[in-house]
Amino acid sequence: MTKKASIRTARLLVILGLILGAIFSGFPILWMTASSFKSNMEIFAFPPRLITESFSFNAYKVVLGDPEKRRFFLNSYLVSGLVTVLTLFVGTLAGYSFSRYKFRFKKALNVIIIGVQAVPPITLLIPYFSLIVMLKLYNTYAALVLTYMVFTLSYAIIMMTGYFNTLPRELDEAVLIDGGSRFMALWRVLVPIALPGMVATGIYTFMLAWNEFLFALTLTKTIDMRTVPVGIQMLMGQHSYEWNEMMAMSVLGCLPVLILYLFFQRYFMAGMTAGSVKG
Amino acid sequence: MMKGTFRAFLALLVLVAASLGSQTFAQSDVTLEFTQWWEPELPDGAFRALMDEFEAQNPGIKVELISGPYSSTKEQVIAGAVAGTMSDVVGLDGAWVSDFVKQGSIANLSDLMAEAAYDDSELASQIQLQGGTYMIPVVNFVYPVFVNLDLLAEAGIDAAPTTRSEFADAAAKLTNPDNNVYGWVLPLSMEQPNGIQNDVMSWLWASGGSMMKDGMPDLTNDGVRQTAEYIKGLWDAGVIAPGSFTMKEQDKVEEFVNGRVGMMISSLAHINLIRERNPDLNFAITALPAADGYTGKRGLPYASWGIGVSANSEHPAEAWKLVAFLMSQETNSKLSSIANAFPGNVNSTPDFVQSDELFGAAFQVFQDGYLANEFTGLPVAEDLMRAFDEQFQPYLDGSQSLDDSLNKAQEAWMENF
Amino acid sequence: MIAEKQMTHRSKKRSLRNIFIGLVPFAYLSPSILLLSVLAILPIAMVFRYSLMNNVIMEKNPVFVGFANYAKLLSDEVFHKAFANTMYFTAMSVIFHLILGLGFALLLNTKLLPQMTRAIFRVIYVLPWVFTATIIAILWRLLLNPNGVINYLILVSGLSSEKIEWLSSKELALHTVTFINIWSGYPFYMVSLLAGLQGIPGEYYEAATIDGANGRQLFRYITLPQLKPIILSLAMLDFIWTMHQFTLIWMTTGGGPLRVTEMLSTLTYKLAFSSYKFSQASASAFIILALSLIVALFYVRQQRATDD
Repeated sequence: MTKKASIRTARLLVILGLILGAIFSGFPILWMTASSFKSNMEIFAFPPRLITESFSFNAYKVVLGDPEKRRFFLNSYLVSGLVTVLTLFVGTLAGYSFSRYKFRFKKALNVIIIGVQAVPPITLLIPYFSLIVMLKLYNTYAALVLTYMVFTLSYAIIMMTGYFNTLPRELDEAVLIDGGSRFMALWRVLVPIALPGMVATGIYTFMLAWNEFLFALTLTKTIDMRTVPVGIQMLMGQHSYEWNEMMAMSVLGCLPVLILYLFFQRYFMAGMTAGSVKG
Repeated sequence: MMKGTFRAFLALLVLVAASLGSQTFAQSDVTLEFTQWWEPELPDGAFRALMDEFEAQNPGIKVELISGPYSSTKEQVIAGAVAGTMSDVVGLDGAWVSDFVKQGSIANLSDLMAEAAYDDSELASQIQLQGGTYMIPVVNFVYPVFVNLDLLAEAGIDAAPTTRSEFADAAAKLTNPDNNVYGWVLPLSMEQPNGIQNDVMSWLWASGGSMMKDGMPDLTNDGVRQTAEYIKGLWDAGVIAPGSFTMKEQDKVEEFVNGRVGMMISSLAHINLIRERNPDLNFAITALPAADGYTGKRGLPYASWGIGVSANSEHPAEAWKLVAFLMSQETNSKLSSIANAFPGNVNSTPDFVQSDELFGAAFQVFQDGYLANEFTGLPVAEDLMRAFDEQFQPYLDGSQSLDDSLNKAQEAWMENF
Repeated sequence: MIAEKQMTHRSKKRSLRNIFIGLVPFAYLSPSILLLSVLAILPIAMVFRYSLMNNVIMEKNPVFVGFANYAKLLSDEVFHKAFANTMYFTAMSVIFHLILGLGFALLLNTKLLPQMTRAIFRVIYVLPWVFTATIIAILWRLLLNPNGVINYLILVSGLSSEKIEWLSSKELALHTVTFINIWSGYPFYMVSLLAGLQGIPGEYYEAATIDGANGRQLFRYITLPQLKPIILSLAMLDFIWTMHQFTLIWMTTGGGPLRVTEMLSTLTYKLAFSSYKFSQASASAFIILALSLIVALFYVRQQRATDD
């Protein structure tokens, strides 16, 4: 077999694998999107069909035409954006410390940081809520932002420590020899190189904040403070669900996340990190 | 010792937070918070309009509606009661009342009524515990039987069943797995175990039976036994639509809408929903069949939108005014009209009773029978339904005998009394 | 004398400097420590206190009962069942998340396809991850409904002549919810591993290829060891998170049918908000915490081993 032919076979296999994988991951989402264009009755029709006669954008019109629901989206953007930026900042500082310094209690701190996220959030609900009320943060963005930071910080610290660990120490030493401070070494050299890791961490953080329901509901009160997942749950009534509107709202809700992901994709692209490390 | 340090730490946190500058505004008006799940269930703006009316009648009182999803209202009220942020007025489900009373989070309405010199003769019902009223059902959603007339006609049945054996017979005739049609639908989801109340125990109540005796569980009596055996008979005959063990009320109605089940026990709230989703569906409403030979009055299961007042409300008198407003003949008529429910005021008549044939029929069913929901006011009512469900599923499934199931359920229930 | 004084002065200065330097790592950590101690450790301590009382929240004057709640839970049959289910659910989820996540990351990292094609697949593959658990549960309930599209496709393709009750059958339900969780969680690995793959210097592969290594050897001796730290972190975090997975199970099966999908998380929820046994629920939460900490300790030890 020539080299060219073997590459062609390999490419075919890869494409086949990718398509199978895409059906696995994409079909349910395709179905969800299709359902958002159906009438509620057709969603349950048998035999089921992907596209039905009553195909309409009605559900989207209802969701987007409602100022309350638009506000849910705005709140979700704001909270998730803030959480992502702040978590990355705080997590990077902590990760740097864990990766580059030796100090007492390091191991203990590590276990605590992992441990704090090991308590099921549902059991924390009541004491946590009392605390937020005592701190006068009830029904504020700050309550949601701080809460999600608590949920995501452990992850961010662990991941950033990991990414920094993979970067050679010679990199920061070069900055120190040039007369720069350690702080500079962190922001000017390590952070740009660790960017793919930061983006991956950031996407996770954004996603968690975007999708969290229980605390979003409990820690806010008024309709102008609610987020998208609460809005979706409000379509699940006591006696019936508005299936198509729920689907439409989810599809709309996932768009910003996907756009962010697409936008930051170039940071995952091959060569970039490798090149920097080489230099 | 530990408690002291802990409190001191909390106090310190509060001080820090307070010094960071959160201000409270002095207000001359009283603002009542009203937590409920009703607003999202009603047409847009309809409930707010009623509140505006209340504010116009009661200058100096404002109502702030706090709306959440039904499924999470209970958690929110419990957490709010602990943290001291519970709303002045709260929407309640009959299944929660006993637990909130135990927690001490809702006020004794009898006291409020006495203070306001309120005449309670207009109230259709009051949920009483320990000699006091804690919840008043504002509107009620009864659960009659919905029948798909076209399917019935196709199966050659000309009258809706009125007895258990007629029902079993009709269900068998309706069932045709090849066409994907089944006679009955039974939601037994563990997440929302209210199928036990609406679709299982309702059979018992419709025949005048009871699952209680002198305020204690009595699940091993003949009535419960016959009901369970009857449903098991339907199950074994294969006339129940598949997927029962994870089905919820919200799924059940979609099966009916799509013409896949001939009969279901369901909330009146579904009449408009079915019409909206499938305008061509030809259906009618009838009373729940009773045991053969039973001639007494038929108990009718129902779910309520109940109302209560927070035990820690700073404005209990104003809160009561809001409750009284909702219970007044005029407002209650309006609310039951927009909610398609039956009123909690005996003198109120919702307009749909005259204008709508189906609702008229339902009203007839309602007036011929009596409201029966033995779960209302029981401790951990939802947990009781779930405990029963846990034993009922293996019985249907054939992995546990009827005696074992009922005895185990009885045992589980007794732990809570 | 004077020299001596200068000496002590200098050493004092040095020791102050040392203390200062010793504090630097803590300075970097301070925002995290502050946030976590107030908003995580404090409420966790409150939950721990709850778990030692007879019943908080419902009782006005709860009494200290020591570890009675733990003893009661640990001897409860339902708890054992939930524990076994949770372990199956968690272990399967972590294993398949890793296999799928790594597999898809490698496929997407291939240089055999044009960038644009890879970009499109990257978006499709990340899709299951971007939805809230409530919607994922609702969506799969629709798909797996006896009258849903999956059963329809099975009937039409002749794979089975009967509709399969994926979620309501006691034989299948546990596997079904595990499958849904695997589906919705693998992109988390994929995204992180994709980032990790970019970090492996290309020279490693070049050198190995020159030495005559084949694809499988490259994967085994370069890719896997290089990804190991990330894989370990991901697996540990995933293990902890999957043990908590509540919404997905609750909204699909509610722990049923016949308790075959009862997990520690659903049991804890029911104890708290259905039976109002908040103290028992807190004890259950702490048992979950203890299990997670075992994994965490293992992880920290592993990490120290790689550090040295």
